[in-house]
Amino acid sequence: MMNDKNSQKIVDIIQNWARKHSIWVLAYGTGCGAIEIPPTMTSRYDAERLGVRGAATPRQADVLLITGYLTVKTMKRVIRVYEQMQDPKYVIGFGSCTINGGMYYDSYNTIKVLDKYLPVDVYINGCMPRPEAVLSGFAQLQKRIAEGRANGAQQYKDNLEWYRANQKKIIPNWIMPDYNW
Amino acid sequence: MKELKESIIKRIKANFADAVERNDFKDNRLDFSVKKETIPAILFYLKDEMGFVHLSDVNCVDWLEDGELEVVFIVWSPADKIKVFVRTRLDRDNAVMDNLDMIWRQMNTYERELREMFGVQFTGLEAPEEFILEDWQGPPPFRRDFDSAAYAEKTFWHRPGREDAQDVRESIADRDGEEIPDFAKKYSR
Repeated sequence: MMNDKNSQKIVDIIQNWARKHSIWVLAYGTGCGAIEIPPTMTSRYDAERLGVRGAATPRQADVLLITGYLTVKTMKRVIRVYEQMQDPKYVIGFGSCTINGGMYYDSYNTIKVLDKYLPVDVYINGCMPRPEAVLSGFAQLQKRIAEGRANGAQQYKDNLEWYRANQKKIIPNWIMPDYNW
Repeated sequence: MKELKESIIKRIKANFADAVERNDFKDNRLDFSVKKETIPAILFYLKDEMGFVHLSDVNCVDWLEDGELEVVFIVWSPADKIKVFVRTRLDRDNAVMDNLDMIWRQMNTYERELREMFGVQFTGLEAPEEFILEDWQGPPPFRRDFDSAAYAEKTFWHRPGREDAQDVRESIADRDGEEIPDFAKKYSR
């Protein structure tokens, strides 16, 4: 019965419906954009009405927000955090720094294109994106989850070697543990 | 305040013959340029004899055209409410000076920063080699001859679409009949 294609489809729909209404965001800010998160979460914009709320540890979280610029040094920690997160997991690139470098396009120590290193499900542009834009980004993510298109984690697993090679290009001294999913 | 500053200048000049003072800043600020051999003595003197007990900052200026690096120590006297800048110039290719963290322990942190960002070596400094940058393999990034854009171009991916970013200043000035001052033309791309 479970191998039947149609019943798997129904299970997927129910699963995605549940997932999209409980997006727990890891409370980890990589750059200046983290300052937009408190107003998004608190009563003025109240993201919790969409099911978006903070999670304390990577293993409890569903969404990794890359808030703004990402330095090479933070990159190491972000990769470790992302690999510790359990499925389902999504990445939101937040602010123009993650898209094309933003105002740090000529900086010697920040990456310019986030999706070369981590699979990004939704980008939110702006410098900084206001809480309205952040909520719109979360709504977009919910839409993609419901449609079953937010499959960045699967993409990461399938193309791990390509991502690893890119990551090692900017992190020459690789002393990271290997996680076994 | 003026008399106080004059007396400080007099005392420093009497004790350190090579000190060149500048006194055209705002009220509570003094500035001395000395040779690098004099630095430990003058800092000890300011701290122990004259009440400049607080180290505000240690900084560096890159005088690329002169081939020199200028290290600036800023000390503050809580009693007199006066700030003293002590400057010294080092050879850019051989920027070495003595470790000074026995005067103020927190100098250690500033020295590590200058070592990493400007390549100023402090003989006798006991601290891990890395400070903020991890696995850094390029030249000291705060020196003026370090080309940050070229380094970023070489090291990181860039998303296409930014190359045609034009300097629109002149076309806007043409349209509005505005005159661009000469000094500003130098900075346009």
